[in-house]
Amino acid sequence: MKNVEAWSAEDVSDWLIKEGMPEYMDVLRQSQTDGPALLRLTQADFQVPPLSRVSHDNGQQLLERMDILRMTTHIEDHKNGHANGHVGGMPNGTSKLQRNGTLGRKDFEMIRIPMPTIEPPRCPFPTEWWKTGIAFTYAVICFVTTSVVISVVHERVPPKEHTPPLPDKFFDLFDRREWAFSICEINGMLLVGLWLIQWILLKHRSIIGRRFFFIVGTLYLYRCITMYITTLPVPGMHFKCSPKLLGDWEAQMRRIMKMIAGGGLSITGSHTMCGDYLYSGHTVMLTLTFLFIKEYSPRRFWWYHWFCLTLSATGIFCILLAHDHYTVDVVVAYFITTRLFWWYHTMANQQSLKETSQSNLLSRVWWYRLFRYFEENVNGTVPRNYQLPVSVRALSWMRGVKYSRLDSQ
Amino acid sequence: MASPELASAEDSSTRNPNSGKEDGSVSGTKKTCPVHAPAGEEAKRSFRKGIARHNDYVKISVPESKVSRLPTEWWKTAIAFFYAAFNLVLTTVVITVVHERVPPKESSPPLPDKFFDYIDRVKWAFTVTEVNGMVLVAIWLVQLFFFKYKSIACRRFFFLIGTLYLYRCVTMYVTTLPVPGMHMNCAPKLQGDTQAKIQRILQLISGAGLSINNSHLLCGDFLYSGHTVMLTLTYLFIKEYSPKSFWWYHLVCWLLSAVGVLCILVAHEHYTVDVVVAYFITSRLFWWYHTMANLQILKCSPNNYLTNTWWNPLFNFFERNVQTSVPCSYSWPITWASACLKNPCKKYSMVQSSREE
Repeated sequence: MKNVEAWSAEDVSDWLIKEGMPEYMDVLRQSQTDGPALLRLTQADFQVPPLSRVSHDNGQQLLERMDILRMTTHIEDHKNGHANGHVGGMPNGTSKLQRNGTLGRKDFEMIRIPMPTIEPPRCPFPTEWWKTGIAFTYAVICFVTTSVVISVVHERVPPKEHTPPLPDKFFDLFDRREWAFSICEINGMLLVGLWLIQWILLKHRSIIGRRFFFIVGTLYLYRCITMYITTLPVPGMHFKCSPKLLGDWEAQMRRIMKMIAGGGLSITGSHTMCGDYLYSGHTVMLTLTFLFIKEYSPRRFWWYHWFCLTLSATGIFCILLAHDHYTVDVVVAYFITTRLFWWYHTMANQQSLKETSQSNLLSRVWWYRLFRYFEENVNGTVPRNYQLPVSVRALSWMRGVKYSRLDSQ
Repeated sequence: MASPELASAEDSSTRNPNSGKEDGSVSGTKKTCPVHAPAGEEAKRSFRKGIARHNDYVKISVPESKVSRLPTEWWKTAIAFFYAAFNLVLTTVVITVVHERVPPKESSPPLPDKFFDYIDRVKWAFTVTEVNGMVLVAIWLVQLFFFKYKSIACRRFFFLIGTLYLYRCVTMYVTTLPVPGMHMNCAPKLQGDTQAKIQRILQLISGAGLSINNSHLLCGDFLYSGHTVMLTLTYLFIKEYSPKSFWWYHLVCWLLSAVGVLCILVAHEHYTVDVVVAYFITSRLFWWYHTMANLQILKCSPNNYLTNTWWNPLFNFFERNVQTSVPCSYSWPITWASACLKNPCKKYSMVQSSREE
């Protein structure tokens, strides 16, 4: 192969064609660019005419090819010129390849190829309990905000004599059953209990717990917004709303505390406030616990999934049967919960969705940064592994039987 | 990793006799080298390809794909159009039905709304909304007219509009909100008079549901707001399918959209929750659909919960043959004058064919 330094304008044209850049051929031939002139081209030359007119990428491609050309020329010179040169040994120092076209020098010039240091394999699912703590705090803040907002909205609910319940298709078809709401709340508590037990048995509880807290927190935050901006009237005349405390801050605080302590359930007598209809928090909990239970339990437990699905669906049906929420509250709650769950988990499972790019429109949600913070060190889908919590091992009745496989997964 | 290959490559080249033969081998390589085909092929930027000028490599024939990666498939667009038309008609039917059930404003006063507490009603604001909506739709249609991949963009637009209006039917029908303000004049109820109802439906469709041309005198379609859906969706489409550098254009359209949505509330024509829910559902659905369509890797991935929606089969049907994200390129719709709008004065044969990133 002829040295680039010795190339004529014809050789330059041939090379351009071979490299797939014929658009430069005319211009460079006109300016009689031969080998050395080609090597002298810099980025600045592509900013001005005539080269700026034919180049669509500021000459990046051409410059890169020229670098390769220089390197191969240099290596060939090197090989041809120094048969007894530095055989095999590593160079003492490193020097970058000179890019000023003076490659004809018979010098020792080494190109340093940095080898990436092999890092010790990191755990693909680091626990990072402090991130779970942050997610928990976020969820608690959202719960407290919800209670405060319910208390505020309660003051604004129009009295049921003044504004009758809105017409609702489900209420037209089904009359009210008084016992229905207790069923809903019992189902809810059962589902939360089941989920809690399942969560304790999971191996990667910190990651999964983080996800649960984050999603629950965000759903309740959305709920704050929709409850606050427009106040729907009570869905039925059977509602007993506690009297309004206009401006009495102390009593309002006490009411909020009572609500938080009782978990917002009517069974515990903590939910006597009205106005929190759009959208339904009970539906959120029922749907979300079912989604998490199904997601993080083995596929073959189909009977378990069906049982939880029945609990969830009956609970939601009973909310409506008790005329405790409008149908639109339940529908919107189901929609938002499922979409958020699926959105979050798809993003968490796909590495390509954890980077902002033009094609990744899922990254345009407002909570994307928070999501990245929580999930950046989680590589891949979290497997469904189970592990007894450490404290159980200390029980005396386990001493006789020792299973080394159980908690080493 | 490259060095042993480099060594063997250089050895074989030095074995060739002097430079006369080198020229011959270079030109001979030019004839037999399929890798460095002239213009039209994608640029490959690997070191190895750059120095491979030998006769001792194996030709791996890459099958030239005859199928375009972005087929037009106008028939699918037609199906999407019918889907959207069906849902729009369904919406008007549901509005007419719901109108009968709206409680009269005397017995059921407007619900308390935070925005209404702070800002009083301005009468002409709703006209601003509707004018903005019409301008945005017109801009989008013009943009679509010049867009190169019209059929695909149209298909997506129809599908999303159809689905959003379908959801709207559901939420409007299940619970009926009272009128947001005492200023609203609802047409009288037609108890059981089907003929007159059908006439109303036709009037609503022909006027596209706008108040400006007096076709929308029916009440009850509050949750959620169709005007917000149109304003938001046209803006999202305009922004997605136009060049990223047109920031002023995006800003103008965003202003039109935002002012339109704000004026809906200022005119007290919808509750705040209607507008918020409409914006939320529209933006989420748009982003969900387009991420699924753009990232091909999601189509094969097992842990892709984005496919759990009910409209996933429809999505697969529409987007099955679209193998890449739709590039933003424009051309005159008439084929004989295909000058790219980006550079009207200069002709680049490579720009239109391959540099569509």
